[in-house]
Amino acid sequence: MFSFDPYSPAVDADPFPFYKALRDEHPCFWSKEANMWVLSRYADLVTALNDWQTFSSAKGNLMTELPNRAGATLGTTDPPRHDRLRGLIQHAFMKRNLESLAEPVRAAAAEVAAPLAGEKQFDFIEDFSAKFTVKVLFAVLGLPLGDEAQVREKAVMMVQSDPRTRAKGPEHIAAYNWMQEYAAGVIAERRRNPQNDLISHFSMAEIDGDRLDEREVLLTTTTLIMAGVESLGGFLGMFALNMADHADARRQIVANPALLPDAVEESLRFNTSAQRFRRCLTRDHALHGQTMKQGDFVCLAYGSGNRDERQFPDPDRYDIARKPKGHLGFGGSVHACLGTAIARMSVKVAFEEFHKVVPDYRRVQEQLPWMPSSTFRSPLRLELARV
Amino acid sequence: MPKVTYIEPGGDEVQIDVPVGWSVMQAAMSNGVEGIEAECGGSCACATCHCYVEGELAAAVPAAAEGELAMLGNVVSERKSNSRLSCQIKMTPELEGLVVRFPDAQS
Repeated sequence: MFSFDPYSPAVDADPFPFYKALRDEHPCFWSKEANMWVLSRYADLVTALNDWQTFSSAKGNLMTELPNRAGATLGTTDPPRHDRLRGLIQHAFMKRNLESLAEPVRAAAAEVAAPLAGEKQFDFIEDFSAKFTVKVLFAVLGLPLGDEAQVREKAVMMVQSDPRTRAKGPEHIAAYNWMQEYAAGVIAERRRNPQNDLISHFSMAEIDGDRLDEREVLLTTTTLIMAGVESLGGFLGMFALNMADHADARRQIVANPALLPDAVEESLRFNTSAQRFRRCLTRDHALHGQTMKQGDFVCLAYGSGNRDERQFPDPDRYDIARKPKGHLGFGGSVHACLGTAIARMSVKVAFEEFHKVVPDYRRVQEQLPWMPSSTFRSPLRLELARV
Repeated sequence: MPKVTYIEPGGDEVQIDVPVGWSVMQAAMSNGVEGIEAECGGSCACATCHCYVEGELAAAVPAAAEGELAMLGNVVSERKSNSRLSCQIKMTPELEGLVVRFPDAQS
């Protein structure tokens, strides 16, 4: 009998065979381990994303939600509140407003890559992506320098879940609480000494003449830090893995870095780190002969939609010439990732600089240590060796 | 499914069956139509799915909300009276036969 347990280490390691069975045989599947429905076909996911009135985010969007977060962040509110909240923040993330960051991001990538010049073998996560990611995020959000390593460690911890209890463990909650206290400190400091940065503006913003709820300011800031650090870092790791595993693609890219944007899009489709998010039904909804009930949770398996042969021919092949428009690597519709422009730019610049120092490499570990997470998928360590 | 005709910047017309509930942007992206970028993925945050709604059905498309009107201020091609962000037009049976034209540039 088929089962799909998003808490299982086997799904962390390789969800794709499970996804294929879901798409082909159980397109509207009740996972008793996750206590929610699972949608896995591209067209069903797009329909759900476009129908936020039925598939609500207001009860949380992480597969394993953090306490008290639902209803207070961009990802966990529905329009119209969501749209007003997003309106306060999105200008900072628009492509045209990020141009001034291109040079600092390049400098950060070059600085982090330089010490790798003498290394035959290194951990891409610890030695490159973790350091680069916090530098980028601190620049984007205007966070005060000094706590970068700890912020990164806590962000990576708080998105994880315990495979045995299928819930957040004490260590994950402790990291979440630490991040909230850290965010509260930054908010208080920016209110005392406002700067021309996102958190200063956001922490003093009003909607329709009302100050934002304190919980919204705190948890939205906490989430921006978490999402920025974990998502960008996780995706960089997956991109490096793809470059290590697909030597032909990497050689083409090293010879012609203009191919990087296409490779980034294909990686977002092929195995993006944001694999699964969650919605809650506001009304009964029938699909593929099943009736999902009002109040039921639904997993949207973006990672499966991105491998759906009904949408992407030969979907299990990594092909940087594919140009997979409409992929679900950033989700889609109202709640599409806020950081698409900064992510695309940062990954491109990171690998332009990284490849100058380390152009030829392979992966060392046969089995990767995958992060235990029901939502995200990326390796905790990625040993690369020069070839 | 209602049909939408997309006119690409080169003048080619592409007719697509668009599921009710999908945005006009979404179906263009999922079918690889040229002339649209949709950088932000449909959250009305980038102004790169700009289109011109052509013909009589333009009047049948629900009016743009405040957020879309503000974002239309960021389009790089000429903003006209029939300019819309295609991520904000949701497909309904009433829009069968809709025609949208993409501008020469989105960014």
